[in-house]
Amino acid sequence: MLAKSLRDSRRTLVWWSIGLCAFMGLYLGVYNSVRESPEVYGPAALAKFPGALRDLMGLQDFLSGTGYLQSAVYQVFVPMLFVVCATTLANRAIAQPEESGTLELVLTLPVDRRRLVLQRWAALVVSLLVVAVVTLAVAWALSAALTMGVPFGRILAAHTGMFLLALLFGTVALALGAATGRRVVASAAVGVWLVAGYVVVTMGSGVDAVAWLKWFSPYHYYIDGRPLYEGLPVGDYLVLAGATVVFALTAALAFDRRDVGV
Amino acid sequence: MTAVVQAEGLTKYYGRRRGLEDLTLDIQPGEIFGYLGPNGAGKTTTIRLLLDVIRPTRGRVQVLGGDPRDPAVRARIGYLPGELALEGHERARDYLRFLGRVRGGVPASRIEELAERFEADLSVQMGKLSKGNKQKVGLIQAFMHEPEFLILDEPTGGLDPLVQHEFLAMLREVRRSGRTVLMSSHVLAEVESVSDRVGIVRGGRLVAVENVAALREKAVRRMELHFDAPVPAADFEGLAGVRDVRVEGAGVRCTIDGRPDALIKAAARHTVVHMVSAEPDLEEIFLTYYSDEEQHSARQESA
Repeated sequence: MLAKSLRDSRRTLVWWSIGLCAFMGLYLGVYNSVRESPEVYGPAALAKFPGALRDLMGLQDFLSGTGYLQSAVYQVFVPMLFVVCATTLANRAIAQPEESGTLELVLTLPVDRRRLVLQRWAALVVSLLVVAVVTLAVAWALSAALTMGVPFGRILAAHTGMFLLALLFGTVALALGAATGRRVVASAAVGVWLVAGYVVVTMGSGVDAVAWLKWFSPYHYYIDGRPLYEGLPVGDYLVLAGATVVFALTAALAFDRRDVGV
Repeated sequence: MTAVVQAEGLTKYYGRRRGLEDLTLDIQPGEIFGYLGPNGAGKTTTIRLLLDVIRPTRGRVQVLGGDPRDPAVRARIGYLPGELALEGHERARDYLRFLGRVRGGVPASRIEELAERFEADLSVQMGKLSKGNKQKVGLIQAFMHEPEFLILDEPTGGLDPLVQHEFLAMLREVRRSGRTVLMSSHVLAEVESVSDRVGIVRGGRLVAVENVAALREKAVRRMELHFDAPVPAADFEGLAGVRDVRVEGAGVRCTIDGRPDALIKAAARHTVVHMVSAEPDLEEIFLTYYSDEEQHSARQESA
């Protein structure tokens, strides 16, 4: 079952890996020219941006290797794309085959429903791990080639966080897909939670009325420990992993009690 | 022996919409049960309940003596969905092998043998299968693990006549080996030749279950006899089970209910040169059932 799910999504995996690597390559590839033009990208230049936009885009420091790597890769776009990739893969577990009608025959096989969900979740974990390992290798290779001076351990720490963040949102999508059988519901919920959570953590951090909401934002647990600067934030990552397990079990239980395909 | 299907008061509502109401039905081992009704009558709802794809609102159902929720029960069933969806880049052969593995192992030779019988091309990617080929793949996966109980939802849709012939031959083999089949259709002609019993479902209710052989015996049949010389009308009047007799010179036309025995014996006294007997049209009988049912419920509603 697991092998079959992986085989079915191998094309998706290859394309997402290539896409993410190309994205990172484009951004990191221009680091040398950024480093050589401090008058354009230095702190003085960044100060010209409105504060809110600076917060939103996480613009802090473009000149140091760590700062550039954080801004270009780990701050916004790559984690977001990673989450989109996770949601796409998660929808292939239940919601998409249910909508297309292929799930019906699978359900009549001698496989327990809870097991089916957990097997497909395991396939999601492995798939995301593949994408994470490939992109990690590329990120590390690029940073080494461009002499950005970031130790591998820090890149690994940040990448682990990105993987856990994507896996959490992927598992949320899988749980909603298992509970409702609808891709739209799963994707929309993930999108809203991701973006709202991101805005709360970045722009909202100075606004008391919404700042407390950060505790509900997965992004907070990803970014708060500054892994690229300070290494693995074990507590934060355990929160992400724990929430993921809870959603995976919810998915199995929700799917077990539902009418499929009606 | 326990029944293969035992349903008691089985009811399914989709929200407020009725899918199936109060189905009580036993299907015995070794029988081929034709499940008949117009589209939307509740056939697929019944089948999905038997396979635990959906859960009953009320009532109870046992399949092969167990709960369909139990994976071990489902391992003994072969199922062809009414709207079979197959997609992706995977080749049909690989998909069938995967299904075989999950069902506890089906030899590759068995898959090839069935593919040959149905003339199915298994090297095609699933997303590119034609409608007919898709149906063939569906039939192969339903038959391949030699299940004790076959559930076929509208199995003959999209099949060309040759394949349909092969399919009916396989059904007879299944019956000969003592296995059980539930087969749905909205056309009686598709199921009457192989079914032992036929159940008719309408508007979510099972309105009749009939033995096909008994039905045929009861069936109204038109007959025409021609003799070498004019025959006296009196010879053909008042015969048991013979109605609407019209004698015109050397020809006799009539309608018989059930057995033609009395008519044949009366005709034997003369020289018969030609005899025409129309096959009883079971469709017509069922339509009578349907319209009776409708009149009945109309009367109840007006009362």
